[in-house]
Amino acid sequence: MTAAAEPAQAPTRHNRGRIAAFAIRVGALFMFALIMAYFAATAPGFVSTFNIINVIEQSAILGVLAIGMAVVIIGGGSDVQTGGIDLSIAANAGLCAAIYALMTNAGYNQIVTVSATFAAGMAIGGLNAFAVVWLGILPLLATLASMNVAAGLELTITENTVVGTTSSLLTVLAGGRFLGVSALALVLILFSLAAALVIHRTPAGVRLYVVGGHSEAARAAGLNTALYTASTYIFSGFCAAFASILIVSRLSASTPGTGELLLSVLAAALLGVVFSRRFIPTIGGTLLAVLFIGFLANGFQLLSISSYWVSGVQGVLILVVVAVTTFARPQER
Amino acid sequence: MVDTLAIDMTGVTKTFGPVKALVDANLQVSRGTIHGLVGQNGAGKSTIIKVLAGIYSPDAGKVVVNGQELQRPSPAALEKLGVHFIHQERLLAPTATVAEAIFVNQEPRIGPFIRAGAMKRESESIIKRFFDIDLPADTLIKDLTTAQQKIVQISRALARKASILVLDEPTAALVKREVNSLFSVLRRLRDDGLAVVFISHYMQEVKELCDVVTVMRNGADVGTVDPRKTSLDEIVSLMINRDMGEMYPRRSHALGESLLKVEGLSRRGCFEDISFEVRSGEVVGMTGLLGSGVKELVECLFGLETPDEGAIFISGEAKRYSSPNVAVRSGVALVPEDRRAHGVAIDLPVRDNITLASLNRYTTAGIVSRSREAKSVDRLIDDLSIKTPHRDQLVRNLSGGNQQKVTLAKWLSCQSEVYVLDEPTVAVDVGAKIEIYNLLNRLAAGGAAILFMSSDLLEIEGFCDRAITIYRGKLSGEFSGAQLNSDTLLASASGANRREAPAA
Amino acid sequence: MTDAATRSAFDLAEHKSSIAVLVAFAAVFIFFAFGAQGFLSLTNFLNVLVNNVVLLAIVALGMTLVVTSGGIDLSVGVSLDLASLAFIALLAHGYSAPLAVGAGLLAAVLVGLVNAILIAKMKISPFLATLGVLFIGQSAQRLATNGGQPIYLTTSAHAQTFAAISRSSFLGLPTPVWILIACIAACYLAVHRMAFGRYARAIGAKPGVAWYSGIRVPFTLAQVYVGAAFLCGIAGILLSSSVRSYVPMSGNAFLLDAIGATFIGTALSRDLRPNVGGTILGVVLLALVKNGLLLIGWNFYWQQVGIGVLVFLVLAASFGLRRRGD
Repeated sequence: MTAAAEPAQAPTRHNRGRIAAFAIRVGALFMFALIMAYFAATAPGFVSTFNIINVIEQSAILGVLAIGMAVVIIGGGSDVQTGGIDLSIAANAGLCAAIYALMTNAGYNQIVTVSATFAAGMAIGGLNAFAVVWLGILPLLATLASMNVAAGLELTITENTVVGTTSSLLTVLAGGRFLGVSALALVLILFSLAAALVIHRTPAGVRLYVVGGHSEAARAAGLNTALYTASTYIFSGFCAAFASILIVSRLSASTPGTGELLLSVLAAALLGVVFSRRFIPTIGGTLLAVLFIGFLANGFQLLSISSYWVSGVQGVLILVVVAVTTFARPQER
Repeated sequence: MVDTLAIDMTGVTKTFGPVKALVDANLQVSRGTIHGLVGQNGAGKSTIIKVLAGIYSPDAGKVVVNGQELQRPSPAALEKLGVHFIHQERLLAPTATVAEAIFVNQEPRIGPFIRAGAMKRESESIIKRFFDIDLPADTLIKDLTTAQQKIVQISRALARKASILVLDEPTAALVKREVNSLFSVLRRLRDDGLAVVFISHYMQEVKELCDVVTVMRNGADVGTVDPRKTSLDEIVSLMINRDMGEMYPRRSHALGESLLKVEGLSRRGCFEDISFEVRSGEVVGMTGLLGSGVKELVECLFGLETPDEGAIFISGEAKRYSSPNVAVRSGVALVPEDRRAHGVAIDLPVRDNITLASLNRYTTAGIVSRSREAKSVDRLIDDLSIKTPHRDQLVRNLSGGNQQKVTLAKWLSCQSEVYVLDEPTVAVDVGAKIEIYNLLNRLAAGGAAILFMSSDLLEIEGFCDRAITIYRGKLSGEFSGAQLNSDTLLASASGANRREAPAA
Repeated sequence: MTDAATRSAFDLAEHKSSIAVLVAFAAVFIFFAFGAQGFLSLTNFLNVLVNNVVLLAIVALGMTLVVTSGGIDLSVGVSLDLASLAFIALLAHGYSAPLAVGAGLLAAVLVGLVNAILIAKMKISPFLATLGVLFIGQSAQRLATNGGQPIYLTTSAHAQTFAAISRSSFLGLPTPVWILIACIAACYLAVHRMAFGRYARAIGAKPGVAWYSGIRVPFTLAQVYVGAAFLCGIAGILLSSSVRSYVPMSGNAFLLDAIGATFIGTALSRDLRPNVGGTILGVVLLALVKNGLLLIGWNFYWQQVGIGVLVFLVLAASFGLRRRGD
């Protein structure tokens, strides 16, 4: 008995979900544009080249950190509670900044200092990798503990003070210009480009998404999931070290408040998913989210709105984005 | 001839502690054949495949694949030899695209970068070539139907030039049309010289598709037969060493009043104007193709979704539920299809699972009386012959059949009156199946009304008093007595007949 | 895997992690007993108990509730702080003490309700929902206090109220300890003896199964998050009474330790599940370690490192051994 003819085009389900997903992406971009337009219209000096470059520079630090976080989330799966996350990235950056500042002041040459900085960052990253991959500790908890350790270490070696420092590297970063673009902005652009190329255009990147999407499937496909997951944490440690040098260049010092960046980093990585078709982090989406957060804070500043609102607005944005994306997903129980 | 053997496993033994999972088992699969592998859960068929896949290493025996002996098989080594496993769980990343899922770990590249365009084109062409459907390479896995995901799984193997394909319960979530489609693909691959191992519980399909069948029982291969020349009864008796005539136990009790009545139930886009009735003591079967609306109907009966129109009557009272909580309080029980996700919490003990829906029977002032609970739980474990060393054993340590019994025990503890069962005997071995049928008979004898959803038409024919079929959201037939057989059911479920007058 | 094989491996793991954790802490305890001056004195313990344990324990109890249901609550500090703020603010404006206490508890409950709506009704994941509330709560506090200025109420007018709450004692134990005991009793009953606890645990184990068994999942989750917030509210009022002020963001310090204590408790349990007794033990152990470190002269920052390492090791024991048991 043959059934009635079915269309040759394979039918897909969850059509409501796909339309909603598309609507959300368009809606998000539209909202982004709307808010930018509002600021452009009302905030004095918002659209000036100087201001825009300034925001991009300020976003360099957040951008590097957010990309590190995004990579961890990609490789660990986006169920934030059980999946990949690195809560220690900001404290790690603080620690690396302190190490850089202290060693520079102690007279070590730049090569040694920079190497030590990266070594420290990647050591914390390695600790996270070990905890998550070998010990099987939930990333949320493991990185919470290592965040504590990193923050404590930073407070210990700096005795909770700001450590001022200068060096040739810092001067170049803070003030240098290449082809008319400031060094910091250039760094952000190049870093993002490199990350995007690797994550979105190489086999390693595709495989990372599969590892995060369904680790058993990845293993069945012959991928060494442990290696991929471990690499993401070491990479985020690398980003922490990288960002720490940018931090010191901007402030000409290391400061104990670096850990507070964590919330913004999380916000950026989480908001970034709204810009991707699959609602998972992408480099481009993360970058857009970083810039959005940057311009948001900037707009508030220019409009003399108290900066105390920023954190709350970020929170509301996260909730809105998550609520809406949850709605678009077919109800799973 | 050894040359034509794709898989040659001899004398394989594997023990886990005191349990002998495999005892001197053999499996020889020739090239250019579709080789069925059947057996109850625990008989060894999944173990021997896992030995082949390198997941377990055998204590004794030889594993030779395509002429090469394997000392320590690993997924990578096996893939190099052209052996591919299509697992029962669709191991695909939900956020990957079709192209990515097919080509992960073998992406076409140029330098260090992926050739995305080539990857897309190739994935579409493979699917078109083997399955004759157009599936856009950009589609996300989570947006695909189960059958499409299976197609992606198989395409992955084909993209890597598989010479041996091992499919584990591939048709479990497919409808007849998709099954036929899969079978023609497998036949074509066989004709091309591939060796296909087909593991399944669906006996009719094994008979229809396979050239040769190996039956496993108690860790050994007890027979290799030609399914075209052997009757189903003979194969099943090899599996359970028992007469298949006893498969569906009979009932003989009087029917009571209507416990579940559905009138004019409709849900936009899912089903329309459904009316039927289940009386106390009755077992009514229900079946329909995937997408026919049966699943959605079940959801409405249990409060997971709300119907747009129509009424549901439980014991004569009209009910409107907005959540399963109300359904349960009205005396409706649901044994869901996805046992692991909805039926039992495997990380909780048997006791907790059994009393989960009926805790109010054991609580005073909000506090649970553990002693009263324990007595009741022990009685149920005994009653249903649930094989567990203790009531606090975690459910994950029980076999599939026993886990299903725990689900039933949960509703027995609730003293439900209306049982809605969705594919209750899937992935349950024959011995446990019969126990479940007996259990349901006892429930019916005790006055329960049973609505039995199944896509196994033989099961419906053998077990149910009456059956209704749903086709494209509408009631397409109601059968009983001699009219109730798998042929009429199939015809009606696939829309070949129009609605008949209810049989006497 | 067969029944017998998995069972014996599991039994071993059951006790391995508890033993490992207890041995580790015993070692630390003995180390401090010998190495730290004044560690082994009743006054010291009582001091630790009242000052360090009570508040953290109450917050950790709330966290235990949440983790049992399969979630996490990053906004515990917000509930604590807003309760504190409401309490102090009402007192400052001349309202009576009972009213102020009521307002504080109400403020906390409102935070819990927000969480409940986000998580139970809108089905947002607990991590993200409570993260959002955390962001918003911090903003709210900064705005309310113009950047984080504490509100001090050290005049004698309120001293009586504060003393009644935090400095009085009954039958030899300070009032806050009695409050803690009441909270422990209530939580123990709720989680381990009442149907509510079974429901929460089922939701934590497999939400789908809970739903399909007719459990009122949204209602249970609401109870969980409101309950946790209520407990944090109690802690907030106790804290404010103790320091006679409202200090914004003081709740932040409790979050990590509450999570740490809850997971220490998990490691100590037979089936690796959150439990009230284990959490309290975890709080006590953390407090003793901090106290010991202080007494041997480690400064505050090294203490933080020490606790971080300790929590790390506990997690390693708990998860690492659990894995081997699979």
